[in-house]
Amino acid sequence: MSVIIRNIQIISPGSPLHGAIEIGIDQGVFMDPSALTDATEIDGKAAWLIPGLIDFRVNLREPGLEHKGTIASETRAAVAGGVTSVVATPTTDPVVDSPADVRLVLERAKASGHCRVLPTAMLTQGGGGNHLSEMAALVDAGCVALAQGNRPFSSRKIEFNALKYAESLGIRVILDSESRDFAGGCAHAGRVGTGLGLSLNSPLSETLGLGADLDLVEATGVSAHFSRITTKTAVNRIREAKAKGLQITCDVTLSHLLYSEQAVLNLDPNFHLERPLRTEEDRLGLIAGIIDGTIDLIVSDHSPHETGAKLAPFPETEQGMSLIEGVIQLLVKLDQSGELSFEQSLTAMTSKAAQVINQKELGTIQLGNPADCVLLNPNDSTTYDQDHWLSTGTNSPLLGQTLPGRVIGSWINGQHIAP
Amino acid sequence: MHGPAALQLTTDGRLKHLLTTEGLPKSLITELLDTAETFLSSQGQPVKKVPLLRGKTVVNLFFENSTRTRTTFDIAAHRLSADVVTLDIRTSSTSKGETLFDTLKNLEAMQADLFVVRHSAGGAPFFIANRVTPHIAVINAGDGTHAHPTQALLDLMTIRKHKGDPANLSVAIVGDLKHSRVARSLIHGLRGMGCPDIRAIGPGTLLPSDLEHLGVRSFHRIEDGLTNVDVVVLLRLQKERMSSALLPSEREFFNLYGMTESRLKLAKDNAIVMHPGPINRGVEIANEVADGPQAVILDQVTNGIAIRMAVMAMTLSTQQGGHS
Repeated sequence: MSVIIRNIQIISPGSPLHGAIEIGIDQGVFMDPSALTDATEIDGKAAWLIPGLIDFRVNLREPGLEHKGTIASETRAAVAGGVTSVVATPTTDPVVDSPADVRLVLERAKASGHCRVLPTAMLTQGGGGNHLSEMAALVDAGCVALAQGNRPFSSRKIEFNALKYAESLGIRVILDSESRDFAGGCAHAGRVGTGLGLSLNSPLSETLGLGADLDLVEATGVSAHFSRITTKTAVNRIREAKAKGLQITCDVTLSHLLYSEQAVLNLDPNFHLERPLRTEEDRLGLIAGIIDGTIDLIVSDHSPHETGAKLAPFPETEQGMSLIEGVIQLLVKLDQSGELSFEQSLTAMTSKAAQVINQKELGTIQLGNPADCVLLNPNDSTTYDQDHWLSTGTNSPLLGQTLPGRVIGSWINGQHIAP
Repeated sequence: MHGPAALQLTTDGRLKHLLTTEGLPKSLITELLDTAETFLSSQGQPVKKVPLLRGKTVVNLFFENSTRTRTTFDIAAHRLSADVVTLDIRTSSTSKGETLFDTLKNLEAMQADLFVVRHSAGGAPFFIANRVTPHIAVINAGDGTHAHPTQALLDLMTIRKHKGDPANLSVAIVGDLKHSRVARSLIHGLRGMGCPDIRAIGPGTLLPSDLEHLGVRSFHRIEDGLTNVDVVVLLRLQKERMSSALLPSEREFFNLYGMTESRLKLAKDNAIVMHPGPINRGVEIANEVADGPQAVILDQVTNGIAIRMAVMAMTLSTQQGGHS
């Protein structure tokens, strides 16, 4: 069925349609409305039409951790946050490390998913960090990249081998840079964590790991994506490495753009994250990194948990927050605060993300591209309460908040998805 | 104020839990110290028994090993005529997989009035205080490396008794401040009392990096840090600091930071020497100092009972509608 959406403002930086006021959708792709006859007309009521967001780091929890979230529940929450494609982490239980696992994720996504699910798989078997996965078969099965997630390689030598092998097959790797020696600690080693007597995580855990990873990327020539950068120092290192010509990209989580270590003051377990919230200076350095292009992508690092996982004293709770339901709204909020323009954050979750997953036809509203788009009223708002919450994980600072922006409707592959 | 510091006070500033010394105003600390002194006889010993908490149930929840702190809380509760239940949780329900939250709900159902909590996780008493039904008071008896507020209060009581108002004193804390909840709570307490000169003395591996923010000056040479102080607080050195390569040996620590008679001479005449106990002779402190006239370590223990009586009486009075 074809539709024409009129009375809109298309926001798709870099596209010839950026600023256009109407669009057609037919056969799953964007079309020139004047070429469509018999189309259903939709009044966009002066809302924005944006490319559907691509969230490059989402924990869907399936298979094995369905008590925390399912592909059905979390992709539904994603759509409410303006996300139409999620890149799924492989750190499920069991981890995704075989073509059969990848097919399982894709089949379940097809059966119960509300948006596109793009799998990734582990670089090493079982995520154990010792034996290489069957990388070619994993990519054939549908993985957009291979990752080691939060599991360490057993040695830098094994990591070197994994990167070298991936490079020879033209596979992009996702690295979570961390020095094992400095890993751990539930709060940034700064004023707040020190004052609360929490176990501390030094920024050295990131910078030492990143330094070694950058050396290995340079030595192997692999295309690498550094995920969840948290410090200003790391942004500077990546800026220098890019200037040197390394084929690298990186991302930052929304929570690190929104919050600093101050958020931990109340010992709210929702702010207990795998990568701790750092100083205000770091937060501003990360925003500057997006503005100058050093940081390519913004991710939600959506991590839903069952209630019990957060029902304990702060250090004993599981890490991560459920955030995907508010992604587009949080981008509007960042824009309204004057810290990061909507066009810049949007690019970091659309066209740039499409490049990193090598699916350049996604992420831009352009004639002939798959029609993944979101109708967003920037003047309305979204209120988050338990009754209307979609994610299985209620471990979210969004609950009880009202954020600017409201998703009126989404289309994925031309199919209308109810908000 | 935030988190534990905010939760422990009522809107009109009275103490309903004791979770941390951070943010406690001088007036409230002074009230606690004054109350504790009323529980001491004219000989300086805690009174034997008063009926203040008759009919109340105090539950000691010790998720972490402790003999002395638990004993002093026991004694304090008994002297206030409360019924006391002590649960060594390490060997009971949580080792069977019950969560802290469920243990708590069970104990609440048993109609306790006051929980005394020691836990290895920083913030655990805050977690409990956040979730207990109203009218149950929670006292932090030490949580992780976060806080040990009753220890800090008994230290302040001891300091005030021997040296007067902390607002006129210099205090040096020596040793492993980094892993010490005692030190953190004492620093907050001293700051609350207006102490103008707080010093931390120890090697770089045992001092937190953000001490300046807490209003504390750091010294790596004990000779620099001890000069003209009124109070010397020594901290217990745990053996695991050597295995985690923060220190080479106890011997080297004693050689660099051990409190000897000659070092003590750098402090003011009649400076007092304190230690939360148990002391390691020949590690933090030389025998002649531990047994010497300037050590007030046993006085601290006595004051500890009175302070715990005062904290229990005051928090329960707030929780149950009275005015302390």
